[in-house]
Amino acid sequence: MASNHLTGIGSESKQLATWYFTFAAIIFGAQLLFGLVAAIQYVMPGFLFELLDFSVARMLHINALVVWMVFAMFGSVYWLLPDETGIETIGIKIGKLLYWVFVAAIVVVILVYLFIQVGPADETSIWFIHEGREYIEAPRWADFGIVVVALGFVANLWLTGFKGKNSGIVTVLMADMIAFAGLYLAGMFFTDNITVDQYWWWWVIHLWVEATWEVFVGAIAAYGLITMIGAHRKVVEMWLWIEVAMLFGSGILGIGHHYFWIGTPEYWWEIGALFSALEPLPLVAMFIHVLYDWGKTQGAQDATGQEVSVINNKPAFTWFVLNAFGNFLGAGIWGFFHTLPQVNLYTHGTQFTSAHGHLAFFGAYATILIGMMYIAVQGTNGIKIMKNTRASLWAVSLIVGGVMGMTIALTIAGYVQVLVSRAQMGATWAGYFDGQSGMWFAQAMDWRLFMGAITFLGFLFLVKDLLSTGKNPVHER
Amino acid sequence: MIEEVIMRQDIPLDDFLTIFVSSALVMVFGGFYVGIYTAVKVNLLKKWTMPLAYMFWMLTAYCLYLMGSLMHVGEFTAKALVVAAIGLLLLPHAVYFMQHRVHEENEH
Repeated sequence: MASNHLTGIGSESKQLATWYFTFAAIIFGAQLLFGLVAAIQYVMPGFLFELLDFSVARMLHINALVVWMVFAMFGSVYWLLPDETGIETIGIKIGKLLYWVFVAAIVVVILVYLFIQVGPADETSIWFIHEGREYIEAPRWADFGIVVVALGFVANLWLTGFKGKNSGIVTVLMADMIAFAGLYLAGMFFTDNITVDQYWWWWVIHLWVEATWEVFVGAIAAYGLITMIGAHRKVVEMWLWIEVAMLFGSGILGIGHHYFWIGTPEYWWEIGALFSALEPLPLVAMFIHVLYDWGKTQGAQDATGQEVSVINNKPAFTWFVLNAFGNFLGAGIWGFFHTLPQVNLYTHGTQFTSAHGHLAFFGAYATILIGMMYIAVQGTNGIKIMKNTRASLWAVSLIVGGVMGMTIALTIAGYVQVLVSRAQMGATWAGYFDGQSGMWFAQAMDWRLFMGAITFLGFLFLVKDLLSTGKNPVHER
Repeated sequence: MIEEVIMRQDIPLDDFLTIFVSSALVMVFGGFYVGIYTAVKVNLLKKWTMPLAYMFWMLTAYCLYLMGSLMHVGEFTAKALVVAAIGLLLLPHAVYFMQHRVHEENEH
C-alpha cells in the first residue's frame, strides 16, 4: 500500500488535519506561557497575586497540555486516514463541524478558568467552572461536548476504516481510539468519597497515558517510518502488534502503581510493582523499532552503491527519533526511578513526579506530534524532500535543551524533598516547608524557570519554522 | 476486629542516592544492551562488539539487584524484578528472530 502523503493538497481530511494542528500549536503556546507564569510564581510568590494565582496558572498549564495533544492526535489521524485507507474520510463535514464545536468549547473553558476561576463549591462549580480533577478539570457541560466530539471522530475513523483498504495501522487506531474515547467516561461521574473518585480518575489518566496514548504513538511511529524512510509495511506493522501487546499487557495492570495510595487492598502493591517493572519493556521495543527500521532501510539504500539518505523529511524524522529516545528517557528512566511502591512512598507528590511528568509528556508525545505537524507542512506544500532550516534546528535544540534542563532541575528539587520532607521529617507539615526552603530546592526552581524560558524561545522558533518553511526554497520539490 | 498493621522497613537516608542512580542505570545499561544488540544485527556495529551487549545486560541485572535490595522489596517484587531482567534479556532475541523471518519472507 503505497503512501501518498506528499499529495496532501485537495484532501478534505488533510485540510481538517491542518486545522487541528494549528489549534494544537496555539494551545501548546498557551501551555508553555502558563507554565512560565507558574514557574515565576515559585520564585516570586507575589507575581500576579489575586489576578492569576498559582493554582489557576497550573490548572491552565496542565489542561492545555492535554488539550493540545488531543487536538494534535485527532489531526494526525485525519492526516493519515486517506493515505492508509486509499479513500477520503467519511463524514468529513460532520468532522469539520465537530472541530468548531471542540474549539469553541475549549475557548469558553479557558476564558472561564481565566476570569471566573473559582465557583461556589456546589453543583454549579462542577457543571460550569471546573471539576477539580487534575488533568481533566473541564466542567461537566464541556465533558459532554468532548464525548460528542470524540464519538464523532471515532465514527469517522471506523466508517472510513471499514470502507477503505484496511491496514494494520488503521486497525490498531480503530481499537485504540474506542478505548481512548470510552475511558473518558470513567472521569465524568462524581462521588462524594475521594478514594472512589481517585480510583476512577486514575482509569482516565493512567490508562490514557500508559495504554491508549502509547499505543497511538506506536501507530503514528509506524506511519512515520513508512512515509519518511520507506520502511517495509509488513515489518513495521509486525513491530506495531508486538508493541500493542506489550503496552496493553504491562500498561493496564501497571495502574496498580497508583492504587496503593488510595487505600486499595495490599495486593495492589505487588501487582503494581510487577507490571511497573515490566512497563519500560515496550518502550525499549519502540526504541529498537525506530533504530532497526532506520538501519535496515538505510543499509539497503547504501548497498546500491549510492550514499543517499532515505529520509524525505529531516525535521519530522528528527522529532520522531527524539520520540524514541524521549519516550525511553522520560517514561522509561524517569518513570522507573520512582514507580516501585517501596520508593514511591517517598517520592510521590514531590518534584520527582514533576520531573518525570515534564520529560515523559514531552518525550513520549509532544515530539511525535510536532513531527506529524512537519509531515503535514510537507504534504500541504507538495515538498518532495524537506530539509532542516536554521529555524528548525534552533527550535529543536532550544526546546530539547530547555525541557532536559527543567527535568534535571526538578529532579534535584525532588531529591531534596525526598530526603528532607519525607525521609528525615516523615512527611509532616513542617517537613513540607523545610523541604521547600532549602538552598538546593530554591536554586533548582530558579533553573527550572530559566530552562522554561529557553523552551518558550524554542517554541517561537518552531512556530516561525512551521509557518514559513513550506515556502523555503531550500527544500526539493 | 483490629486489622493487621503492615509495617515497612524504612530506607536509610544514605541509600536514596544509590537507589535513584542504580534504577536509572538499569534503564541506561538496558538501553545499551538492546542498542548494541540491534546495531550488530543490522550491521551498524561489528560482530565482535556483541559480548559488550551481554556485559551491559549483566550490569543491568546487577543494578536491578542492588536497587531491589536497598529498597527492601518483598519476595514477590524480587521475583518480578528477576522476570523483568530475563524479559529484557530475551526481548531483542525474540524480536530479531521475528524481524529476520519477516525480512526473509519479503526479500527486504
